[in-house]
Amino acid sequence: MLNPDHSLNPAFALEMRGISKSFAGVRALSDVTVRVQQNHIHALIGENGAGKSTLMKILDGVYPAGTFEGQIFLRDRPVRLGSPFDARQQGIGYVPQEIGVIEGLTIAENIFVGRWNEEGGVIVDFQRLFTRAAELLDTMKIQLDPRVQVVTLNASQRQLVMIARALAARPSVLILDEATACLTLDETRNLFRVVRRLRGQALTTIFITHKMSELFEIADSATILRDGTVAAEFERAQFDEHEIVAAMVGRTIENYYPVRESAVSDREVFRVEELTVPHPHLAHRNVVDGVSFSLRRGEILGIGGLVGSGRSETVNALYGRLPHRGRIFVEGRETLVRNPREAKAHGLGLLTEDRKLDGLLFNFAIRENVTLHDLPQVSRLRVLDRAHETACAAHYLQQLSIRAPSVQTPVANLSGGNQQKVVLAKVLFPKPRVLFLDEPTKGVDVGAKNEIYKLMMGLAGQGIALVVISSELPELLALADRIVVLARGRIVDEFNKQEASEQRFMLAATGGANSHLSN
Amino acid sequence: MKFLRKLWAIPEAGIFVPLLVFTLVFFCLNQSFLEPNSVAAMLRAMTFVGIIAVGQTWLMIAGGIDLSVGSVAGLCAIVSSWLMKTQGLPVEAGLLAGLAVGFMAGLVNGLIVVRFGIPAFIATLGMLYVARGLNYLLCQGYPIYPIPDPLKDLGRAEPLGLSWAFVAFVLLAGIGDFALRRTVYGRMVYATGGNVEVARIAGINTAWVQIGCYMLTGAMAAVAGMLLMSQLNVGQPEIGVGWELDVIASVVIGGVSLFGGVGTVVGTFLGLLIMQVVRSGLVVTGVNTHWQTVAVGVIMVTAVGVDLLRRRTKIS
Ligand SMILES: Nc1ncnc2c1ncn2[C@@H]1O[C@H](COP(=O)(O)OP(=O)(O)OP(=O)(O)O)[C@@H](O)[C@H]1O
Ligand SMILES: [Mg+2]
Repeated sequence: MLNPDHSLNPAFALEMRGISKSFAGVRALSDVTVRVQQNHIHALIGENGAGKSTLMKILDGVYPAGTFEGQIFLRDRPVRLGSPFDARQQGIGYVPQEIGVIEGLTIAENIFVGRWNEEGGVIVDFQRLFTRAAELLDTMKIQLDPRVQVVTLNASQRQLVMIARALAARPSVLILDEATACLTLDETRNLFRVVRRLRGQALTTIFITHKMSELFEIADSATILRDGTVAAEFERAQFDEHEIVAAMVGRTIENYYPVRESAVSDREVFRVEELTVPHPHLAHRNVVDGVSFSLRRGEILGIGGLVGSGRSETVNALYGRLPHRGRIFVEGRETLVRNPREAKAHGLGLLTEDRKLDGLLFNFAIRENVTLHDLPQVSRLRVLDRAHETACAAHYLQQLSIRAPSVQTPVANLSGGNQQKVVLAKVLFPKPRVLFLDEPTKGVDVGAKNEIYKLMMGLAGQGIALVVISSELPELLALADRIVVLARGRIVDEFNKQEASEQRFMLAATGGANSHLSN
Repeated sequence: MKFLRKLWAIPEAGIFVPLLVFTLVFFCLNQSFLEPNSVAAMLRAMTFVGIIAVGQTWLMIAGGIDLSVGSVAGLCAIVSSWLMKTQGLPVEAGLLAGLAVGFMAGLVNGLIVVRFGIPAFIATLGMLYVARGLNYLLCQGYPIYPIPDPLKDLGRAEPLGLSWAFVAFVLLAGIGDFALRRTVYGRMVYATGGNVEVARIAGINTAWVQIGCYMLTGAMAAVAGMLLMSQLNVGQPEIGVGWELDVIASVVIGGVSLFGGVGTVVGTFLGLLIMQVVRSGLVVTGVNTHWQTVAVGVIMVTAVGVDLLRRRTKIS
């Protein structure tokens, strides 16, 4: 108010100046300054553990004023954010990296959580609430029924609910912390359209992603964080993939997608015939319907498809987590997989889609999480061998470049991408024969992705068969020897690496959904 | 300063520090508080609740809770004394039968909770009534005595100025602590309590981990009940009345999370000590004895509060 002219036309919509923050002696951010111009979509890029989420939590008041050094300015006005509530009052909308929906409530209640009525009042007017939610979802082009309970939604739908929740408050600054990590291509494009439209209506966005293509598609400017400091700043005109990646990881990456050197053997290790998974709530509907495929030793099979195509359900059923029909053969012998225990006994492994929900034990440190799937290997006469356990975990810490002070760091203290690497280490530890990987590189930075790809090639070289689900199409096309495309629970196309292309994939994935029209 | 900060970072610190403070305060108020006799009396007093608390620690870390422990302890004592006295069974058989009843009660609790999905709070509250009722049905409400001589001698013996029951407690606590922290089975207990789904994906039979912990708790209740019986020299139907509250209070004071996945037997041991120190301390300072009960309540809530605070300061 001191300088009205200035606040009418501020230089920056947002400035975080000289921010430093430590956790129990470990420095996460030191002297970071980020400036974002009004109506810009500003990307925040950096390796796992670089400090992106920490910076955003400061901006959202999760880490309140006083627990960090530095200052925050909104439209050139210094603000003091003591809590997420303060941030909301200041017009900051935050979509955190970890999805935090309330499962027992409906979509509408989640979107307007805490503000269920427009004009206060004790009794919630549900009719009105559902209409408001429907309108909001409609403007975002999200096809979800606001009356549906969130517990029935999958990860990407939950993410959309979180985004809708942030937008419902009509923020002037929107923070998207890896919001696209579990969205499909279509949903991501849709989100970009919405954000672009709102940019025209004075919305400033901070956008965190590990996908370079998204950075090029949408960002107006970018700040690169590295080890808690600003490594570089770019305007859109100067964007250059090599420079950005180099600033981010401190080296250049050759062969981002490694080329397969080992040959796939002819021996079949796994086969499924007519896998059918009934819908959990609706009778006479199947989420997976007659899916059959076989895997050879050392083969990487990609499963592609849009949301609701039954990809995750397929691998979860094969791992014994969902009731299913169909025949499963491991090493040529027919086997029953009625629960995860039996699946594991047959040498199957599963990396689940949502690390927070069913990926990690947050009451444990890295070490205990890594060894959980094969306790006999780290014990003698049922007594755990701590030294051996530490050594095993330390091996993965190094191999997957997990950024943590030691293997005894609680996983709760790790950045999202580093948690993901721990989940990967966990499923690799028992040396499975067949490994189902549901979005294995979700939230992992480019450098580490490259490492993980090499690792996967290495595993395939050792004869382990991999089934990979990924919403990142280039990743899927580059890694998989063979791809099956699912739509509405059925296989609609199957092709080898040589025949693979984005067009063919998209055609199958979307065309398959209404193939009954063309037939 | 640095030392203090390190101390604060140890999980059991939230309870060890107040324990030290209380002990010092009571010692200053009345020097006789730390005399050997008085210490021995304190240790003996926490024996029976302590034995059960070891089992309850395992169970609560696995994500369950058992409110029936006091009643089950009473039932086991009555069943074994009834078999020995009225039915003339040999001592060993009587004790084994008592233990079996404890296991069975735990098994039933576990099956009802895990297989039928009835909340542990309700299922074991039901068992609390059922066991107490069976107890009175069996003995008609009258104490059963005398119990056989070997048992009587066992209960009277005073090794090291303590009791065999206390020796049993220390042994069980030691084994319980080691097994929980260092064995595969203990790790499975933490994993199950931490996140059942993650544990299941890891191939752990979470149902049996939980049922096993209920059975362990039932068995510990049986042991405690029968040891008290031997010490009293009578199968008293009131054995174990109200124990469940002391057991749960000490486990919670010791840092076990009600949501499972967190805690240690050492923590529980410190929890038991703090409750006993405050109780005995208030006695030696001559305060009205009913203040003890008030104090236990206050301490339990404070302990949980301090623990929350400790966790929060560690995070940010
Ligand atoms: N609660 C915490 N306690 C201790 N250390 C923490 C805590 N939260 C974050 N850190 C540490 O701070 C650093 C920055 O973490 P942050 O979550 O900001 O990374 P990020 O850039 O968002 O990474 P990602 O891409 O993996 O999400 C990491 O080294 C992390 O281990
Ligand atoms: Mg992050």
